[in-house]
Amino acid sequence: MGDLRLTNLNKSYGAVAALHDVNLSIDNGEFVVFVGPSGCGKSTLLRIIAGLEDITSGAIAIGGRDVGALSPAERKIAMVFQSYALYPHMSVRKNLAFGLENLKFKRAEIDARIAEAARMLAIEPYLDRKPRQLSGGQRQRVAIGRAIVREPAIFLFDEPLSNLDAALRVQTRAEITKLHRQMQTTMIYVTHDQVEAMTMADKIVVLRAGRVEQVGTPLELFDFPANLFVAGFLGSPRMNILKGRIVIGDDRRVLVDVGQPALLESDVDPASVSAGQEVLAGIRPAHFVVSEEGLPFEVQYHESLGTETYVYGTLQGQAEQVIVHQPGHFAPAAGAVLKVMPQEGRLHVFDPASELALARRHGGH
Amino acid sequence: MSSTPQASWRLHVATGGTDMAGATGFADRALDLAMAVVEAPINAVERLIGKRRMPYLFLAPNLVLFGIFTFLPIAIAVGYAFTGGTELLISNRPFVGLDNFRTLLSCESYLVPGSCEESLFWTAIWNTLWFVGFNVAATLLVALVTALILDRAIAARGFFRAMFFYPVLLSPVVIGLIWKWFLDRNGLLNAFLQMLGVPPEIFLLEVGWSRFFVVVVSVWFHMGFYTLILLAGLQAIPKDLYEAAAIDAATPSRTLLRITLPLLGPNLIVVLVLLMIKSVQIFDEAWVLTNGGGPGTANTFLVQYIYQMAFAGDLRLYGLASAASVLMGLVLLVLTLVQLRLGKKAES
Repeated sequence: MGDLRLTNLNKSYGAVAALHDVNLSIDNGEFVVFVGPSGCGKSTLLRIIAGLEDITSGAIAIGGRDVGALSPAERKIAMVFQSYALYPHMSVRKNLAFGLENLKFKRAEIDARIAEAARMLAIEPYLDRKPRQLSGGQRQRVAIGRAIVREPAIFLFDEPLSNLDAALRVQTRAEITKLHRQMQTTMIYVTHDQVEAMTMADKIVVLRAGRVEQVGTPLELFDFPANLFVAGFLGSPRMNILKGRIVIGDDRRVLVDVGQPALLESDVDPASVSAGQEVLAGIRPAHFVVSEEGLPFEVQYHESLGTETYVYGTLQGQAEQVIVHQPGHFAPAAGAVLKVMPQEGRLHVFDPASELALARRHGGH
Repeated sequence: MSSTPQASWRLHVATGGTDMAGATGFADRALDLAMAVVEAPINAVERLIGKRRMPYLFLAPNLVLFGIFTFLPIAIAVGYAFTGGTELLISNRPFVGLDNFRTLLSCESYLVPGSCEESLFWTAIWNTLWFVGFNVAATLLVALVTALILDRAIAARGFFRAMFFYPVLLSPVVIGLIWKWFLDRNGLLNAFLQMLGVPPEIFLLEVGWSRFFVVVVSVWFHMGFYTLILLAGLQAIPKDLYEAAAIDAATPSRTLLRITLPLLGPNLIVVLVLLMIKSVQIFDEAWVLTNGGGPGTANTFLVQYIYQMAFAGDLRLYGLASAASVLMGLVLLVLTLVQLRLGKKAES
């Protein structure tokens, strides 16, 4: 079975720690994406699961079996490399067969599995070609085919789309998702691209500097980022961050004063804050509404993408530039002052010291 | 003609930060001046002969040297091969047609040098053949194993690489002398054997041992060079192929046979060609080591035969020596062509 448990996993290279105390549980059949900026440890974590790197301490179990001491071949995993790592001197067919031959499979079984994988990936016409005779997209399919024929418990993908052009990337993204639906096998996918993470994952694991920052479904992470890093990393353009102070309202509602005539309503649990406490308020560009009332927003310039418009400007008393998203065509003049308010329940409030999101009221959005 | 002739030959030198502005400024000006001095005549010539011909102009000096010291001697040797007598000047030498070749090649049995008109030639041929066989096999094996070990992330890799390469830098005569002292009747090896209670052996006066050590010395001398070529090839193999093979459950031996060696193929061919040519040319270190090809003629090789015929005997048989050189050259040419063909086939 393709379930995976990582317990108190640590990895260091000499004095440099690459992973800190990673705990993670992945269920059989899940599509899990490890995402984070370069150097966050996501590839190291994948390679540890593959058995290509050993662990400094902790435990790793696949299908309930401790695999920490097992070789990559014994772990029932298959990996698709960023570079594809196809054997350049072998035909596509031989590339697919190599692993099965090493495992002493019968010829008929090998041929049957290659035929099945080739059909699924539509690479039948290329089976007798060498990798260098194939396009990037075709090589990518062969690399996936080499993983499929092994019938692994877990598929590991290491930034498999980063060498493809933009159009092919979108197409291949959809194909991998479809493949996952067909095969229902656990897949772990490493990327630095948040769009891939959002669109493909059942579960996203956000990593930074060797630590797991947050684990959850794409929308959980988008709607309830646990800290400033996750809030800033997911979503494009980035979440706007405003400096403010807590104000406790009459009805014990927690409001945030960002130095504007209007206060911002939040879902923060009043028990967790005190009046006057400094906080950071986060609002995604798409969660601003332009209305009659609200915060005065002075327009600097705008970018029209046809289907949507990003307006760049400043809020009085806030140093950082603020981005406001509007659907469709929208062309405010530079210097114009708009009134903007966050949509209800869309205000994220963080503690500036710990960078953690403040606890929300029970049942809040 | 280029409208801005300076531009094509100007070297652009990146300058450092501004913190050393004074020093950099001076270095810059000096460099500019030097470049201007170099550029002026180059630009003048370029205006004269045109930009397209410039590369050939730069190649010309080398080509002239190459012609004088390589192509001309080849032509002279071929010419001499058809002449007889002992005179050095070709105008004084009688044309004898294929006589020299006939002398070299007339044998009752090629397997028995004694049955040949020129028996030393055939002794040298057979000596060279066994030497080439053993030396190519042994050097290739040792260099490959060494390269495979050095390709691992072992400690002090640079030190080992330098150590194995070091003999390549020595003169063949030095190599021959060092090993002669080592293998001498009163040499280091015998002293060591005596300490162990083994009776001393006069290695260089015994046919089997002397041949064995000629190969050992040659392997030791040249392996560093071939190791370096093979190591470069090994390091060019992407590491993720090995990782893919590990995930594909390939055992170390299967990884070596199915991944490493096939991908090392082009380098192996290069090594094989160079090694074969070098082995056929064995002369100086063996000549010094074995006191001129001894014991008897046990280590007299083809090049030594050619040298003896032309320059070391009482009679200077330039014609015979040239004919032997031409034959050797032809054999090397054929061997090289065959191997290059094999290499092309292996690559495609």
